[in-house]
Amino acid sequence: MVLNELGARINGALQALSKESVIDSKAVDALLREICGALLESDVNVRLVHQLRENVKKQINMDDLATSSNKRKVIQTSVYDELCRLVDPGVQPWAPRKGKQNVIMFVGLQGSGKTTSCTKLALYYKRKGMKVGLVCADTFRAGAFDQLKQNASRAHIPFYGSYSEADPVRIALEGVGKFRKDRFDLIIVDTSGRHKQETELFLEMEQIAAAVKPDNTVFVMDGTIGQAADAQARAFKESVDIGSIIITKMDGHAKGGGAISAVAATGSPIIFIGTGEHMHDLDRFSARPFISKMLGMGDLTGLVET
Amino acid sequence: FFGMFKNLTSGRVLTADILAEPMARMREHLANKNVASDIANEICKTVAKGMLGVRVGGLQNIRQLVEQSMETALTRILTPVSSTDIIRDIEHAQQKGRPYTMAFVGVNGVGKSTNLSKVCYWLLQNNKRVLIAACDTFRSGAVEQLRVHVRNLRALSDNQNVEIFERGYGKDSATIAKDAIAFGASNGFDVVLIDTAGRMQDNEPLMRALAKLVSVNSPDKILFVGEALVGNEAVDQLEKFNRALRDFSGQSKPRHIDGIILTKFDTIDDRVGAALSMTYTTGQPIIFVGTGQTYTDLRKMNVSQVIRALLRA
Ligand SMILES: Nc1nc2c(ncn2[C@@H]2O[C@H](COP(=O)(O)OP(=O)(O)OP(=O)(O)O)[C@@H](O)[C@H]2O)c(=O)[nH]1
Ligand SMILES: Nc1nc2c(ncn2[C@@H]2O[C@H](COP(=O)(O)OP(=O)(O)OP(=O)(O)O)[C@@H](O)[C@H]2O)c(=O)[nH]1
Ligand SMILES: [Mg+2]
Ligand SMILES: [Mg+2]
Repeated sequence: MVLNELGARINGALQALSKESVIDSKAVDALLREICGALLESDVNVRLVHQLRENVKKQINMDDLATSSNKRKVIQTSVYDELCRLVDPGVQPWAPRKGKQNVIMFVGLQGSGKTTSCTKLALYYKRKGMKVGLVCADTFRAGAFDQLKQNASRAHIPFYGSYSEADPVRIALEGVGKFRKDRFDLIIVDTSGRHKQETELFLEMEQIAAAVKPDNTVFVMDGTIGQAADAQARAFKESVDIGSIIITKMDGHAKGGGAISAVAATGSPIIFIGTGEHMHDLDRFSARPFISKMLGMGDLTGLVET
Repeated sequence: FFGMFKNLTSGRVLTADILAEPMARMREHLANKNVASDIANEICKTVAKGMLGVRVGGLQNIRQLVEQSMETALTRILTPVSSTDIIRDIEHAQQKGRPYTMAFVGVNGVGKSTNLSKVCYWLLQNNKRVLIAACDTFRSGAVEQLRVHVRNLRALSDNQNVEIFERGYGKDSATIAKDAIAFGASNGFDVVLIDTAGRMQDNEPLMRALAKLVSVNSPDKILFVGEALVGNEAVDQLEKFNRALRDFSGQSKPRHIDGIILTKFDTIDDRVGAALSMTYTTGQPIIFVGTGQTYTDLRKMNVSQVIRALLRA
């Protein structure tokens, strides 16, 4: 994952600031310009980058900062906090509860990695001892059921779907009903890819949600997405109750900044990151350690704890 | 965004100082339209350079000047220099009695298989006989996906002019493509469409496998399928696909991407920047734009519309 590259650049800028003998507003502007440039290159939403710049500026009132060592500390902490805010909505991520029947619905844009991530998540919880089932409520995409079926079979996870039924709401209901009856702990419902411009598709998603009443709705975002992320994420959020985010395809060169914008748009936490096409390629995600690692912290962790 | 520039007094000569602010705004404007940062910077630099020393005329303001220069630059970048007439190329191959071959390549999930099927539909409309080679032998359901498309296309076009060539999963895709082309040649197919597995541009084994498929089969067209949703990664994807074709081919005259299919154009409103990033990076034309999930959602790119969307406030 090349988020480290972004971290290295931000860190470099912060270090350059430490070398300045006088830290005036010009030095801060230069620092912010470098950081914002790096964020834009990572596809972070332009508006969020603006916000970050303004927030840091507001927090560091140059006149109030007496000593220059204090200045550095304040600036670095402020940058760290703002970066954390980008990826951390400050809400506890949802997790399935044992002894209860949990339903998760996967939604997202076309080709973002829903079907692949469904199996990954199912396997993750299966290994934690849960009884997990997969439902294919994608009746639109050619070969969708075969894809889920082959993935699930390989991972030895029970699945439900149909080659002939065209109504995804019906399949979702039937599948969830069947797994509920069979006392499954976790039921994961895969849905078709969709986008905000086609209202019919969003309506369908709302109907599936209304039918299966998921305990959590996972929004899957492709880590390479650019500036269109924000508008799409917002629209999904308005249509269904997004509870968690999974960012996929982070095994490549992508820095994931576009997908990260979905955190602000939905107010939901990133719970996992997809790091490959194989069923074990799924990493847990938590925001603050992630930023610390991204910045190759050490010097900053100390600062933040004070 | 342009609204905030004041008028320049007529007769004034444009300097780097005067241009700095509007160009910085333009860079950010383009970034917001999803143009990759590096590309936006380079284009703005070139445009600014071209405007240096220009004497401002009577009624012009800097907004119009920047916009005009930008429009000219964008038109130059987005207008194809090579021919994009595939039907003519196919007929050329027909005259030589061999099938015309097209490989669809790109990263995961961008729409290779779907848009291959759309291209197939378009070819069927043009009375071509098409063989689809199922060379994604990795992703679950990839073969069945194409089978469904072929079934649909046969039903839609009410003829038997499309077939699938498949060898299941796990096999070497270069060999399947080779067998498909041979099958196509001896069975009177006009076109062979080669579907390939999605791959990350940094995955060396998979990129080597793709270079092998290309060098073994020398497809007439290597089409890079990229989605309009992609941000800065567009540049890296294209550069590395081209680099892999060059470095891993083992041939003295290696191939490169010949054209682009820009997919999911219906999902991005007016953030059309990927079109610019991709053409700028490769110098190759966008041959088709994918505008939806059905067989008819395939268009030629409308350059002036894209430019208008790029410059729109
Ligand atoms: N390299 C990599 N590829 C991934 C990852 N997650 C998914 N993919 C690939 O991305 C492509 C699309 O994944 P799918 O799971 O089919 O995506 P989807 O969202 O279900 O697609 P639709 O149902 O068509 O909307 C496939 O080729 C997957 O193998 C990942 O984390 N890394
Ligand atoms: N909205 C929209 N969706 C598209 C377009 N083209 C493809 N898709 C959708 O994108 C998803 C992925 O398409 P595929 O054709 O399977 O993508 P792929 O590149 O072959 O994927 P892999 O083989 O897994 O790498 C499917 O849900 C398609 O319906 C388009 O132009 N617009
Ligand atoms: Mg799917
Ligand atoms: Mg495919």
